Amino acid sequence: MQQLDNQEILMKLKSSKQFWDIKKKLKQGLGDQQKIGVNDIQKFAQSCEIEDQLTKLISHILRKSKKRESLKEDQIEFLNTSKIKWTELLFKNLDIVHQKTKNQEEDDTNTDSKLYIYDEKNLLAFLQTFKQQQQSIALYQNVQFQSNKLLNVNIPLKSSQSILDKYQYLLLQEELQDDKINKIRKQIENEHIDIELEKIAQTFVPNGERCLLYLKYFEFDHQETVLQQNFAKLQKECSNQLFYDELLEIDGHEISEDTFYFVFQEQILTCLKCFIRDRTIKENIRIQLQNGVKKEHAEFQLPVTGFFPFKNISKYVAPLCYLSTKIHIIYALFKEFFCRYFCFLHAISSENNSILSLCMQIEEIVSTRSPKLFHHLKVIGCDTLKLIIHQLVYCFIGDMDPPHILTIYDSIIGHDSLEILVILCVGFLNKYKPKLLLAKNQENVQQIFSELREDRFQELVQFAYKQ
Amino acid sequence: MQNKKLKWKSDFEKSVIIENFVNRGWTKSQDKEEDSSDWNVYWATVWNVRNIFNPKSGFRLNDQQIINHFPNHYELTRKDCMVKNLKRFKREQDKETYEQQGWNFDFLPTTYVFPGEYSLFVEEFHRCPNQTWIVKPAARSQGKGIFLLRKIQQLKKIAGTTVTSNMTQLNLASKENYVVSKYIDNPLLIGGKKFDLRMYVLVTNYKPLKVWIYNKGFGRFCNEQYTTDVAEIENMFVHLTNVAIQQYSDKYSQKHGGKYSIDALKFYVESAYGTEAFQKMMDDIHNIMLTSLKSVQAVIQNDKHCFEMYGYDILLDANLKPWLIEINASPSLTTTTPVDKNLKLNLINDVYNIVLPNDDFPDNEQKQQQITKVGGFSVLYDESLDLMNRKAQKRQSVKIWK
Repeated sequence: MQQLDNQEILMKLKSSKQFWDIKKKLKQGLGDQQKIGVNDIQKFAQSCEIEDQLTKLISHILRKSKKRESLKEDQIEFLNTSKIKWTELLFKNLDIVHQKTKNQEEDDTNTDSKLYIYDEKNLLAFLQTFKQQQQSIALYQNVQFQSNKLLNVNIPLKSSQSILDKYQYLLLQEELQDDKINKIRKQIENEHIDIELEKIAQTFVPNGERCLLYLKYFEFDHQETVLQQNFAKLQKECSNQLFYDELLEIDGHEISEDTFYFVFQEQILTCLKCFIRDRTIKENIRIQLQNGVKKEHAEFQLPVTGFFPFKNISKYVAPLCYLSTKIHIIYALFKEFFCRYFCFLHAISSENNSILSLCMQIEEIVSTRSPKLFHHLKVIGCDTLKLIIHQLVYCFIGDMDPPHILTIYDSIIGHDSLEILVILCVGFLNKYKPKLLLAKNQENVQQIFSELREDRFQELVQFAYKQ
Repeated sequence: MQNKKLKWKSDFEKSVIIENFVNRGWTKSQDKEEDSSDWNVYWATVWNVRNIFNPKSGFRLNDQQIINHFPNHYELTRKDCMVKNLKRFKREQDKETYEQQGWNFDFLPTTYVFPGEYSLFVEEFHRCPNQTWIVKPAARSQGKGIFLLRKIQQLKKIAGTTVTSNMTQLNLASKENYVVSKYIDNPLLIGGKKFDLRMYVLVTNYKPLKVWIYNKGFGRFCNEQYTTDVAEIENMFVHLTNVAIQQYSDKYSQKHGGKYSIDALKFYVESAYGTEAFQKMMDDIHNIMLTSLKSVQAVIQNDKHCFEMYGYDILLDANLKPWLIEINASPSLTTTTPVDKNLKLNLINDVYNIVLPNDDFPDNEQKQQQITKVGGFSVLYDESLDLMNRKAQKRQSVKIWK
């Protein structure tokens, strides 16, 4: 693990606005005194909680400096077993997909379009097969299983109320005046420490400074040459064709039809082709998606990333194309977002950010705060999770306009968490609740969502808290 | 105010026009004669407007009639007239005065009108041997007859005979004029592809000038990656953004039609280039619109029965500088996608909410009322206000529109 020395800690402190605020407070508090000793500073610092603030700031710096190990094993054993089963299933799917592509090459009229290894529906269906196992861990609340819930897993879960409370401040967000926006701009330009950048990202990020904030947060702001060189190396490797390239090209087709992202089609594909060749992903990704056991006699193995590309992977890259004209920057941001956050949406895990936890949180909130809707959907054969799984797994990309998607990305950074997706999914269901309650069957429900609609970040947040 | 049963007439069988008229409860004029006067609202072709306003027709519009073109709109919308008027306006302006007022003329690529300015063109052509030029018929649309030129001999296409650089004049095969402009060979690219902007501007009055700008529009993308390779100079799928041309590309998508919303483009420019660069780009675009309209203010026959909705075609270069390509009097109301239909339906609806508020025919005084926003339209410029208010309003309009 990487440790910072005192000089490095001091440098990081000095790049924080909070540090200078603390220093200013000390100066003002001790300014009148003729002689100032260490004891005086200590006494004053303790009296007005400065010592506490400084301790937290240093702890945060130390914590962030430690390289997070990629989570390979889950605390719950059956999830580890499940991950192996999931990986085996994906290998089988890969064989099927490979056969289909061969058939299509031989027969042009064969237009079977299911050329992907898995999608969000497959993932949800797999999660549904879990059975209640393992005792809950004492530190967390137990989930009280109800037979009407889709997911039947006993894992430690944060209270859904705590998630609702955490994001409630968003209801009070007002449109900012120009002078406040300018102030935030200056803050982003001057700030380097991630705790401060997170605070900004939690509230409001001006469009023109978003890329800079993200680069600073991921500590890329002075590394452009390195990013460029690394990307160029990966691009060179793309001249050796992989089978997965074909799947990525097919995946890109949906993006190429999207009115907001079709212009970036080539860039998205280039980023993804580089991504599946990037050996550093395996060590940077926060959680292992598949169990990377080498299959004997298999024609294809897992890519060097350690996981299979999946349907709609292109979507994760697309919104980031708005942030820069430089493809190596887009790539660096995508890689960081995926390795830190989006990987959890595809991992079999009990972690808070995992797809399993997020799904269970959504079910919990909807079943308790909108029981009528929850029950009605069950009765007509539509499940709550099945309705929103696409929006959840792909962060509403394709459902919201890019500015709103990037507001979601801001919130993810701001709280270092994907829990905002729980709030938005609940809001989404509440928004369409009146129409859903009138639906008599799945076709009616599909009709509701096939109509031209415009979902907005702030609007869904408002709906999430409506009962 | 009750909705009146107005009678409408349209030379275009376009759903976005007809649906708007029907939704307002207006009835279709049953009179099939082209020169009939049994209508209140007429969405006409430019040729029919010309006939209506031709003194020989003996036709006089009454107070309960409104039409969608000014009599001599071509002063702005024919490419050769637009160039002539802009050049004249620039000469007329005292340099100090127009700079103080913020008028900027640096948005028209160097352009010559054929056949009259052929010799001037040849001089410039020889001065810039590596320059690519774009040749366009003055009065056609949809990319028809346009080609890129690197050799004088290519002018054979329009001369009908061999053309050499020694010739001092050019005799065109057809009677139409052509405009030849320096080709902007460093366009802003997104995803490696060239695009231009289609933006909508409504003029309800020329004297005093009142200009409304629409907050929706789109970028029209080429389907092929942009290249300055000479071998691709005749590949129109690389160079010409007209939908009428791009729809024949193998890569054309029915779903988006190569149209990228202006909201998305604005967001992209602001996010990727910064807020300052974005604001400057918008200010420059507004300058193009106002300067071009001002340049014809003195020549356009201002008629209280008329309004005009223009389609501005603007190209951004790699430095985010906007260039004026052309101004369309009859921007296409064909819809290629559901999003496109929604845009144009709302556009026409908002036009009529402005020109016929509550289905009433406003008098001049009502036209000058201080409403600055109707639907997607915001006032960009209202000359009737005094100078101080005008400056504040221009800033406010930009803010509203943004």
